Amino acid sequence: MTQPTDEKPPVFKSWNSWYWLVMGVLVFQILLYLFITQSFL
Amino acid sequence: MNTVDWVILFGTLALIVGYGTWKTKGSKNIDGYLLGDKTMPWWSVCLSIMATQASAITFLSTPGQAYEDGMRFMQFYFGLPLAMVILSITAVPLYHRLKVYTAYEYLETRFDLKVRSLGAFLFLMLRGISVGITIYAPSLILATILDWNISLTTIFIGSLVMIYTVTGGTKAVSLTQKYQLTIIMAGMITAGLIAFWNLPESISFADTFRFAGEMGKLNMINLSFDLTDRYNIWSGLIGGLFLFLSYFGADQSQVGRYLGGKSITESRLGLIFNGLLKVPMQLIILYIGILVFVFYQFHQAPVFHNTSLKERAMQTAQAGEIQKLELEYDQVFLKKKEEAGQLASAIRENNRTQIELSKESLASISISERDIRSRVKESIAASVPGANTLDKDYVFINFVMTYLPHGLIGLLLAVVFSAAMSSTASELNALASTTTVDIYKRSINRKGNDLHYVKSSKLFTAGWAVIAMIFASIANQAENLIQFVNIIGSLFYGTILGIFLSAFYIRYIKSNAVFFAAIIAESVILYCYFFTEIAFLLYNIIGCALVVGLGLIFQAFENSVRKVKDAS
Repeated sequence: MTQPTDEKPPVFKSWNSWYWLVMGVLVFQILLYLFITQSFL
Repeated sequence: MNTVDWVILFGTLALIVGYGTWKTKGSKNIDGYLLGDKTMPWWSVCLSIMATQASAITFLSTPGQAYEDGMRFMQFYFGLPLAMVILSITAVPLYHRLKVYTAYEYLETRFDLKVRSLGAFLFLMLRGISVGITIYAPSLILATILDWNISLTTIFIGSLVMIYTVTGGTKAVSLTQKYQLTIIMAGMITAGLIAFWNLPESISFADTFRFAGEMGKLNMINLSFDLTDRYNIWSGLIGGLFLFLSYFGADQSQVGRYLGGKSITESRLGLIFNGLLKVPMQLIILYIGILVFVFYQFHQAPVFHNTSLKERAMQTAQAGEIQKLELEYDQVFLKKKEEAGQLASAIRENNRTQIELSKESLASISISERDIRSRVKESIAASVPGANTLDKDYVFINFVMTYLPHGLIGLLLAVVFSAAMSSTASELNALASTTTVDIYKRSINRKGNDLHYVKSSKLFTAGWAVIAMIFASIANQAENLIQFVNIIGSLFYGTILGIFLSAFYIRYIKSNAVFFAAIIAESVILYCYFFTEIAFLLYNIIGCALVVGLGLIFQAFENSVRKVKDAS
């Protein structure tokens, strides 16, 4: 991912960290839901 | 419904509409009216985006969807966080730096006036028709439940929205959406808790989870790649990504929300937090449906959830047959309740053998239940010609009306009205912005002052509200409401997405190429709709692929013609 703007984000040093956070949370949720689904099969 | 409910319902609506109107009246310039002076912090952008997307039908249908079909609908939203990231990187900085009022204004910077006007025209067609459905769908259900006249309900919702949207513009839309979303989530969670508190005392919250899982309702992820299956992880990630890129990147009703952000940072954070919160929010709403499902294992569910329609059928010669079926249904419920109790005990004791036995019994009871319900539906269809016997959308609201205490019934109805109003307000605001900025100000009257354009925007907002109410009346003729909405969306979204994809990511394609590609693509889609049997959901992909594909071909052709000319 590229750095699209010079506006600094809050909390993290770069926007890329925010984007990775969103994708990380999505992957975590999918894995959790997959585990739940498989548990009841 | 008693007096307390009516007071809470009308009090809540009057407070929101009154406060929104009073707090935001008096915008004298177009920046203030259409962009809310760009003063929104990130959390306000995020709430506004979420309130726009969540229409009344979301809160009426989604719990019913989980009740009938389990949690698999959640996969539909997996593409949304990815779309939020892509749009934060590309669209947000672009729109902010160009200081545009609408997404279509950007098309003129990237291409030319004709592409901008085409994009705006396609959006107005798409949103102008679907805003009618946004009002009609909840009106139909509320009119049935409250025994109101459908036209009266439509006019009631449309007029309430018109008051504050016309007066305060974008500021009023986002201000009211904050309160509306708060009421919506508070009301929904309260309804879920009431369902839980009315379960037998021995069942804990964790037990509801295991109970639902054993009953096959926690079917959250389906890994199989099946094009005929509407909800699996692949359709959610790939199809959802395209759908949400299009909805959040090219549909002014959403673009207008994050354009009101104070800065690029605030707009971006608004989208990012929407990406973080949307899937959990859907999880909560779906789980409320699951709680209602568990609740109805221990309490008698109605044989048909649209009780108003059933009452009409009971006035006919089919009454005897329906009554007989209801008695059968009561008997089946007694068995179900006993088995459900045994399953709950087996879960607590972790007795695997008993769990399997109870599951088998409940599965066979469920078949009998379904059989009785389908016979009831047949009787209703026979007694009320033309009646829609799909009752999934009535599961949740019927539960609310029957089992919630007075006061909370009024609050939950305020939830449905608030949701209808919040999404309608954004749509009307977007229609008015696009009509004013992309059509009127750009091509009809370029010499007006700010006040003139504010007045024009107010007039267009009111005009679109009236058109929406008229479309809502026509929607009555549509056989299947959701299908009608999807068809209208599919007719235009593919072409619009193709134009924006070319604009954002394919610098090679220039204005003439994309314009003619879009015209041909839209013509092909309309041809497919009128003269072929192609499934309408495919129109999105066909339209988008045609714009990009033909755009590349036309551009290559244009470039080669230019080279030949230059050479000669």
